[in-house]
Amino acid sequence: MAESQGCARIECTGLGKSFPGALRAVTPLDVTFQPGATTALVGPSGCGKSTLLRLIAGLEDPSEGKVLIDDLPPVRQAARGAISVAFQDPSLLPWLTVRANVALARKLARQSPDPTLVDELIGLVGLSGSEKTRPAALSGGMRQRAAIARALATQPRILLLDEPFGAVDELTRRQLARDLPPLWQSRGTTTLLVTHSIHEAVTLADRILVLSPRPARIVADIAVPLPHPRDAHGADFRALLTRTSKALAQGDADNAPMAAQ
Amino acid sequence: MMRVASVGPPLLGGVLLIMGWGALAAVLRGGHLVAGPAEVAGWIAANPGLLGRALGKTLTNATLGFLAGNLVAIALAGVAMIWPRLLNLISGLALVVFCLPLIATGPILRVLMGPGDGPQIVLAALAVYYTTLIPLLTGLRATPAVWLDLVHSYGRGRWSELIHVRARAALPYLFAGLQIAAPAAFLGAMVGEFTGAEQGMGVLTIRFMRALDVPALWAIAVVAAAVSMVVYGAIGAVARMVLHDRPPVILSPPRGKPVSGLSRLFQPALLIAAVLVLWWAGMALPGMNPFFAKSPQDVLAALTTAPQAAATRDTLWTALTETAVFLLPGYVAGLMLGAGLAIALVLVPNLSTLVMPIAVALRSVPIVTTAPLIVLFLGRGALGTISLVAAMVFFPTLVACLHGMRQAPGQILDVFHIYAAGRLRQMAHIRIPAMLPAFFAAARMSVPAAILAVTVVEWLTTGRGLGSLMALSASVSDYNMLWAAVAVVTTISALCYAGVAAIERRILFVYAPEQVRP
Ligand SMILES: Nc1ncnc2c1ncn2[C@@H]1O[C@H](COP(=O)(O)OP(=O)(O)O)[C@@H](O)[C@H]1O
Ligand SMILES: [Mg+2]
Repeated sequence: MAESQGCARIECTGLGKSFPGALRAVTPLDVTFQPGATTALVGPSGCGKSTLLRLIAGLEDPSEGKVLIDDLPPVRQAARGAISVAFQDPSLLPWLTVRANVALARKLARQSPDPTLVDELIGLVGLSGSEKTRPAALSGGMRQRAAIARALATQPRILLLDEPFGAVDELTRRQLARDLPPLWQSRGTTTLLVTHSIHEAVTLADRILVLSPRPARIVADIAVPLPHPRDAHGADFRALLTRTSKALAQGDADNAPMAAQ
Repeated sequence: MMRVASVGPPLLGGVLLIMGWGALAAVLRGGHLVAGPAEVAGWIAANPGLLGRALGKTLTNATLGFLAGNLVAIALAGVAMIWPRLLNLISGLALVVFCLPLIATGPILRVLMGPGDGPQIVLAALAVYYTTLIPLLTGLRATPAVWLDLVHSYGRGRWSELIHVRARAALPYLFAGLQIAAPAAFLGAMVGEFTGAEQGMGVLTIRFMRALDVPALWAIAVVAAAVSMVVYGAIGAVARMVLHDRPPVILSPPRGKPVSGLSRLFQPALLIAAVLVLWWAGMALPGMNPFFAKSPQDVLAALTTAPQAAATRDTLWTALTETAVFLLPGYVAGLMLGAGLAIALVLVPNLSTLVMPIAVALRSVPIVTTAPLIVLFLGRGALGTISLVAAMVFFPTLVACLHGMRQAPGQILDVFHIYAAGRLRQMAHIRIPAMLPAFFAAARMSVPAAILAVTVVEWLTTGRGLGSLMALSASVSDYNMLWAAVAVVTTISALCYAGVAAIERRILFVYAPEQVRP
């Protein structure tokens, strides 16, 4: 199948998820992710961010409500190779080299092999020279970068990144934040980025959704109307940082009485 | 840390074994019990044709059985992966077939298949498929959920899971199974030859045992052991080449989905029904002579309504108690010695550099082929039989326990080092709990092996117990008794296996919960 072209709109209506034992991870959410936009999801640990991504990827079935990607359920889009996920755990297959791990995504998505693209992506995440290395011999941050390259290898229409830079050192992280976004922005990929770093959210995203502690609820929906590349020392940037952290603190405070019940 | 399966230690083990053997022969010279290395080498040199033909025959049959049994195991595991609902039924049926006493299956196959190599090949296959199936199932299912999520995130299903993730993740487990299967296939083929073949190592064993030809018996046991060790080592070497790592030693328990109260009863009932239906259908096949092909109804009648039913039950019960007297002490002794020596080796690491290679070498010996020697040594009484059962259980237990204790998480051991806690305390608090899963896996898999060992010795030498009863019934064509014995032995064997597995689950729930939770 050829690479899927065009932008994808993700619509969540009344989307909720409970796990057995009446543990509610996501309260009914109504939210639309516009085609080609990059949205950052920030919220405290365990609030349900990964669950939300998994619902959108079709890896979990919603307990209520539904997700539609261009009017199709996620599993249908996944079967077309339209979705890529970079999991929180890099989940590289230990018996494959870095190159084979990245190439595997194209195989799974039933796309033709593209060694040039694969090597180009490996270079972009800074793993040139490690193509033939197996994951066990990589550091945590290197594994995460390989997983990002793998997610990009299918040139997906929807890119779901779950804390992709969690184990990456600060310097590399800044460099990746500079080099990678053009890859998906130029292709009009609809991107969701889960992150703990407010700084990262303001650097990369067009929009920031601040989530409350579990069950995830949208506390604030903040537009980031800044041109790329962004100046982290600019006044607008700093204002957005402050606004986002206030919203996070607010979400915590709102939920405190509920947690006490 | 010692490498359990690398090339050096087995080589060293072989040298140590030959030296020990030579010393033993020198000490016991004149007792007509031990033929020394020189004597054995002389016998082999004097009879190359006889030995070569027999070895060629047995090796061919063992290889065919090895291939057939392992292909069946791989196919069954594949089916269980594509239709997970069938998993419990498949592993249950596989266990029941594995528990069939080879001593009785041999003669029955002989009647069914006539002269030729059929029974030997089938017995070799029966001896290997289970030890491949169980680790394979474990390996296929011990895949981290995130790897499968990756496959699912591209909209792929079970086939892709199997091809891209599970099959490769299971390879180390497959090799572990194949390694153990190699000597088992040799053993199965030899037991098949015991039951009326014309040619092969098993036939020679019986002949020389009757003639009390000590050098010849030793020569056969040594050749069988050497061949098994070489194949065991070769498979290990292939595994290291393919895996960049050595295969795991532990045959962990298959983890099913947690079952609710009702299906806890339903699943065994389903299994029993499936066994009875398959048995009945097999006997009803065209070409099955009702004279020897006994169906479940026939066996039930022979045990309950037939005129001599009471006598049949008495005979079976007597044989059963005679067997239990040897089986239980041997089994328990094998487990205790295996675990005990493993603990000693970890406490005294210097000892292990000496003992471990020997243990690894002996683990690959088809113990049953040495039965005549052990009985020659220790007599036809209780000691010989118990020792053989113990030896059958001892080596797998020792190797598995050592491996288990090595798995003790390094970080926790570091904590103990910081507090300068001694070896004994490390042992009690970390190593022994870490050893338990391996210990129980070995205990579980040893149940049918121990029963095989005890019935073979009973049949070859002591003339008592279930092994002798089955052989006798076969030779006088008392097929009702033979089938009844098969049913009883299989049931008891499967129940004991399930009993050990139940204890295992309880203990692992405390010490290694990740092994029992799906
Ligand atoms: N498969 C599951 N079964 C039960 N509870 C789960 C499962 N997955 C996640 N949870 C729970 O749902 C909550 C949200 O988890 P997650 O989405 O991983 O949080 P986040 O990614 O925001 O840190 C957590 O409390 C977690 O324990
Ligand atoms: Mg998460």
